[in-house]
Parts: sequence; C-alpha cells; structure tokens
Amino acid sequence: MSGVAIQSCGACGRSWQFRRAACPACGSSSVAEAEAGGGGTVWSVTTVLRAPLPELDVPGGYGIALVTLDEGPRIMCRAEAGISIGDRVRVALGEDGLPRASRA
Amino acid sequence: MAHLTGVAVTPFGKHPGRGPVDLMEEAALSALADAGLPREAVDGLVSGYATTYPHLMMGTVMAERLAIRPRHAHQAQVGGATGAVGIILARHLIAAGACRHVLVVGGENRLTGQSRDDAVKTLAGVGHPVHEVPLGASIPAYYALVAARHLHETGASEADLAELAVLMRRHAAAHPGAQLTKPITVADVMASKPIATPLKFLDCCPISDGAAAVIVSAEPLQGAAIRIAGWGEAHTHQHVSEMPDDLGLGAKLAAAQAFDTAGRSAADMRLLGLYDSFTATLAVFLEALGFAAPGRAGPAAHDGRFSREGRYPLNLHGGLMSYGHPGVAGFLAHVVEVVRQMRGEAGERQVADAPLAYCHADGGVFSSHAGFVLERTA
Repeated sequence: MSGVAIQSCGACGRSWQFRRAACPACGSSSVAEAEAGGGGTVWSVTTVLRAPLPELDVPGGYGIALVTLDEGPRIMCRAEAGISIGDRVRVALGEDGLPRASRA
Repeated sequence: MAHLTGVAVTPFGKHPGRGPVDLMEEAALSALADAGLPREAVDGLVSGYATTYPHLMMGTVMAERLAIRPRHAHQAQVGGATGAVGIILARHLIAAGACRHVLVVGGENRLTGQSRDDAVKTLAGVGHPVHEVPLGASIPAYYALVAARHLHETGASEADLAELAVLMRRHAAAHPGAQLTKPITVADVMASKPIATPLKFLDCCPISDGAAAVIVSAEPLQGAAIRIAGWGEAHTHQHVSEMPDDLGLGAKLAAAQAFDTAGRSAADMRLLGLYDSFTATLAVFLEALGFAAPGRAGPAAHDGRFSREGRYPLNLHGGLMSYGHPGVAGFLAHVVEVVRQMRGEAGERQVADAPLAYCHADGGVFSSHAGFVLERTA
C-alpha cells in the first residue's frame, strides 16, 4: 500500500482525496476512509525552478506531478525527475510525509 | 439595464510610498470624473482586496476614504476574477433595484509594498493547505501543470505559447501606462529563465502596483452607452488537483451563459478582454471560447487574428502580461481598455469599430470564471 489516505463512497464507489462529509458524485454520507494502492498514471508534471520559498529552491529544481490514481482521484505529488505525462508511476509517502511519484 | 458609465486605470508598475487605499482612491475619483458623477451618487460599492493590506472590510474602508455612504458595500474576493464578478454583481444589484450607481474598484502596491518572496508565498496559498502547498507548489507551478497538460492534449509547442507574450508586449508599447514596453521576440521568451516547466519568465505576468475602477449605472451617462448585455459565471473547483478533465470547462460554461443571456455568439464579438496571467491561460481561453482552434491560439496570434487590425482584437493595452498585474485591478484594466475602445477614445490603439465585446477572467487556477458581453447601444 501507499500510505496515501483517500476516501471512498459506500453507495456509488467513487473515491477522492480531499476530506468531505458527503460523496461529491452522489451526495451519500456513507463515506469511508481508505488507503490508495499506489498505482497511478501521470496526468501532468512540472519541474519547479523558482520555488515559492527561497529555502525550497534546489539546483535543477524539483518535480511536481498530478497523478490519477488507479482508484480514480487525481492527487498532487512530488515527482521523480524525468517522468512524463502518461507514464505509469507508484505513489508512496516519503520520509517527509509528502506523497512521491516514481516510475512504476 | 446596467451600463458601464465610468472607467479609470492608473499606470501599472511602481508607485512607491502609496498603499492600496491611496491607489484605489485615485482610480475611484478618476472613474467618477469620467462618468461625470458626483461621489454622493454612488450607492453601491464592491471593493477588491489587497495582499499588502489584508483588511477584513475593504469595502467600508473605501467608502470612508471616499466619504460616501452607499446602501451596499463589501469586499469581494474571487482572486483574479474579482473585478469581473464585481461588475456582474453590480449588474444584479441594479437589476434588483437595490442600487443605481455601483463603484467596482481594485488596487494595491503588490510590487513595492512587500518583498517578491512574500508576494509569491501569499499567492501560493490559493493551493490546498494540506495536499498542495506543502509540496512546494506555487502559482506558476499550478498553472504550469495545466499548461503542460494543454500542450500534451493539443500538440501545441512552447513557441506557440510564446507568440501570446510577444503580442501582449507589442500592444503594451502603444500604451503610456504599461509596465513592460520593451519589444520581445519568441526567441526571447524561449530563452528566458524557466520558472516551472513549460512556463518561463516571459510566459508569466509581472507583479505590479496600480489601481483601476469601473462604475456601473442604471442608465447611460455622458458619452457612449455601453450596456452589460450578457453575463455568466462558473465555479468548477478551487484546487488544481480537482480541476475537471476538460481544461476549458469553466470558461465554456461561463461564456455560454454570457452569450446566451446576450442573445449573441462568440463570432459576433469585435473586441476581447481576456485574463492573461500566463500565456497558457490565454491559450486555454481563446481555444475554449472558440476564438482559435485547439492548439492554434499561438499561430493565430502570429497571423494577426488578435491584433488591432485583426478579426478579434485582444487586450490592446497589453494585458496582465505587459500592462501589468496588481491583483484585482489587473482585469479591471482590461475592462477599462475595452470601454475606451468601444467609445472610440483609445487614440493610436483605436480599433476601427467595436460595438460588441467580450470580457472574461478566471480566479484561482481556472477555478472561478466570470464573463460578460458589452454592447454599445448609442
């Protein structure tokens, strides 16, 4: 498993990441906590070379991706260098607690 | 029948020593003079917010500064769409009979009133506090994710996007109030420092000081009658993580409603004022709204479609990209330019004739959309 927490709807089966009391698809309040399996596909990716905080700046920048998890939600992750849109990735929480996407 | 009766914009760039309230006061008084309206006639006020002065009640701060006692006043906060939402809300207040003259005003010293790092950090806060901001995402990064996806889906190139920056700079050169007027080429954009791939320094709008104001009235005043013929909003998501798969969805929904209420189509428009925080923002809008084929906004710009003499003249003051972007006043400057063009007051920037125009802004990351059709009726 990935350590990435998601929520899923007991009524319609939809999954999402941002915490809600009711399903965004069908409105059911039958919401359960779940953990993403970790498999996903890169929807988009960028390399940030000008960080919002100077202390975050690193030579060569750092990658941020939006990954569509196999369960359905699209989530933001730190991204391994060199991954491209459409790539299959594994998402897991790093030591800093941030989700990271690396080549599957 | 709401009309745009007064408009004003300050030069954008640096206004050292002047705060948001000072700048907004200047724009508001200029707009009142433009309308020929005494200040006591203003009975509605929608004020923007200022990152350099995060007051909770800017609406009443401005009413106090201007020594007016409106029947309605508040501070609107919808990011870059604030001015557009404010103008649409003014139309609604007038249609409801609640107000007759509504002042919509924005301005701040976003450039000189704080460090660049503070400005970037504040803006990054539109991201999700748990799932986005801690990753080191910034506004350019959020938009870069959309830009990369747009290029992937359409086959457009970074050089195609660069054409839009070149166009905005060319337009700004004809406006004495513009912040950035030095001509640039596609090669200059391509060679500029990468910020968040595929966006480079010259794909991004600058940070600016400045202010702008628009007065919306129940009837035309002096000069040409410019009516708000149609309006639309769409709020599809807040965070880019939850953005719809269709990158242009919010823009399409708001524009469809605006054209529908106006009884017009995109093809009827003769002038455009579109929010252009980044080159990719403009590309997504132009293509979603049908002013360019998917992936072809850049080539269409290169071919002159959005120039003063073109089919759809666009942001003839230079847009956010080159006139500048001080926050809420950024898009209000687009509206000021459109109104001046429709009146025939744009001097060397003047288009041949623009009886119909479309204005559109987004706030957040393509999150909140507001668009309206303006029609010159007399």
